[in-house]
Amino acid sequence: MEFVNLILSILLHPSIFIPLIFPGFITIFVVIILLIWAERKIAAKIQMRIGPLYVTRRFGGVLQLLADLLRYMFAEVITLKDSDKFIFIASPIIALTATLLPLAVIPAGSLLDIELIAFRTNISLLAALALSSLTPIFIIIMGWASNNKFALIGGLREGHLMISYEVPLYLSALSVAILYGSLDIVDVVNNQQRVWTVLINPFAAFSFFISMIMSTSRFPFEITESDSELVAGPYTEYSSILYGLVMGVPYMRLYVFTLLFVDLFLGGWHPSIDGFSSIALIIKVLIILLFSVFLRSVYPRYRLDQAIRIGWHTLFTLSLISITLSLLIIGWGGIGGY
Amino acid sequence: MLKQRNSEKEIELFIGPQHPASGHMRFIGRVDGDIFTNFIPDPGWVHRGIEKIAENRKWVQIIPLVERAAILDAANMNIGYVMALEKLLDIEPPPRAQYLRTLLCEINRITSHLYGFGIAGIMIGSSTFYMWPFADREPLIDIAQLITGARLTYSYMIPGGVRRDLPQGFREKVLKALKYIERRLNNDYFRIFFDNPVTKARYQGVGVLKRNDAIKLGIVGPNLRASNVKYDVRKVEPYAAYPELEFDVAYREEGDCYARLLVRVEEIRQSIKIIRQILDKLPQGPIIHKKYEKLISLKKLEECQKTGILGLPAIFTALRPPAGEVISRVEAARGELIFHIISTGELRPYRLRMVTPSFRNIVLFRELISGARVMDFPAIYGSIDYFPPESDR
Repeated sequence: MEFVNLILSILLHPSIFIPLIFPGFITIFVVIILLIWAERKIAAKIQMRIGPLYVTRRFGGVLQLLADLLRYMFAEVITLKDSDKFIFIASPIIALTATLLPLAVIPAGSLLDIELIAFRTNISLLAALALSSLTPIFIIIMGWASNNKFALIGGLREGHLMISYEVPLYLSALSVAILYGSLDIVDVVNNQQRVWTVLINPFAAFSFFISMIMSTSRFPFEITESDSELVAGPYTEYSSILYGLVMGVPYMRLYVFTLLFVDLFLGGWHPSIDGFSSIALIIKVLIILLFSVFLRSVYPRYRLDQAIRIGWHTLFTLSLISITLSLLIIGWGGIGGY
Repeated sequence: MLKQRNSEKEIELFIGPQHPASGHMRFIGRVDGDIFTNFIPDPGWVHRGIEKIAENRKWVQIIPLVERAAILDAANMNIGYVMALEKLLDIEPPPRAQYLRTLLCEINRITSHLYGFGIAGIMIGSSTFYMWPFADREPLIDIAQLITGARLTYSYMIPGGVRRDLPQGFREKVLKALKYIERRLNNDYFRIFFDNPVTKARYQGVGVLKRNDAIKLGIVGPNLRASNVKYDVRKVEPYAAYPELEFDVAYREEGDCYARLLVRVEEIRQSIKIIRQILDKLPQGPIIHKKYEKLISLKKLEECQKTGILGLPAIFTALRPPAGEVISRVEAARGELIFHIISTGELRPYRLRMVTPSFRNIVLFRELISGARVMDFPAIYGSIDYFPPESDR
């Protein structure tokens, strides 16, 4: 009994619980398995198909991705003769790590009186955005290290997209910070107890959401790995578990950004239930995630230059409008406690 | 040229033959930034030598052979060859056979266009518009199976007529299927794809083929009609039952990718109209020319009257048309199909030439994609509905 208590106390210690269980690794793993399954099932329903079925048939093939991952695990890692082998293998691993880094500063409510924030700082929004901008760099490096023309073009496309979504993304996040006068996400969430930011500043929410979709290469902005001309973009030459990793990166990125989106615009863990405030948060996150993957069955993909134009014309303008709106509201007397 | 080859400004991109979007062919493009400065199609990866094989086949054995050029468009390939053969034999099939041939040709035109839609959809990333048209071919394929007994390669038309008559209860099944296709085409397809803002952004104003260029390059089929040329072999040189049927030639004026797709939508509507007319006007009578009817055994004829299935009479294996040279033209789903046959009065043709519509449209790759953006390549490819096996023969 003592031993069990010891294990429990170790597991429930914030420095273990947050990165490992919630909102960290295990939650991400479960969410991604469910999300990809849901994505395929929703698309199948719309497209008059059945979708994944044969693995765990009784539950509609929910563990299909797990089976795929196992298969990837036992496949041979193929590196090209002329590729830069060290960087080729290291960059997916670093990209995956970099994708998960923002979780250190994004708060996820509280569970059984444990504050679910690994690293409380008063500039957590800035830190989260800065850490999230690491991943695209490694995707570009993947494209370069593969020594493949399709991968190279795909990596360059990621670079092109990055410059067009990051500015509106950061500006719209900034407008939220201006609105509440704080760069601390916990402050931002606590200020939304009565009314959510999406109702006060819808421009910022819209611009953030579209930039988020663009940065995680969901449809209609699935341009980096657009398979009809680039095979798989920067990921063309990857095989086995490395392919599993690089395919997981956009989904993990989507999860991290959705967490941030819910915290910034949809009131985070409010309305909270005592002791279990994370439940409201995770429900909102799942809804946003499902909506993001549902777009796949509705839209084709935009052309690269059209996506860049959307980034710089529409989203940039919208994020500027959202900043102006925030400033006007501040000048008019502010919101809530501020 | 050599200097340009070595310059580091451009990279040479080999797309295919093992590529998700190349089909059974290769493209060699030179990319400068995001623009193809030069784009050359390199076909021939599925060349099966149909023309040469035909020289070693008996006349009826060539019927299933020419169908293999475009499996999705088998009936139109079939009627082209059989018409040429009938010109050599100097016979005219009875009216009922003409109508049945036209019926199958129009069903094939619809399924072929739906297949083209599916490919166009997945090429610009719409997985829903990939699955829908592919699945919606099914009711029409079922109808074709009712008529011919086969789903894709029918070998339905034989010299002098057709192999089978219609089964019972056929009319209701066809009307039901047509109603379904019409509903899907006019509502669902437009909602999910043709009216989708992303689709319009990808297609409108992309890959514009001007009227003069289209005529000069000898483009055929829906691609030509999308550039405001009202040329359709069914109207220019009517064959089978087309002279007695009412339909319009679908055309658009813009000449871009979107126009090419909408022309196909309109053609499907016209095909539905034609099939409805055929069901109303279908004359009674024999399904094979009386010259051959005489040669078939009485027992088999009685069986045919009972079941509607004639099969392939054994006398056709010894078919020996007189010496001569003929040309036949038909409008296949992808455009004008030409058969040129030289006969020396033997059991086999001396030479069979088959000019397929895809082969005449292949030049569009060079014309439209040179100068376009890299991401326009799949959009244009999808819109011209190019089918490598049909081109390579």
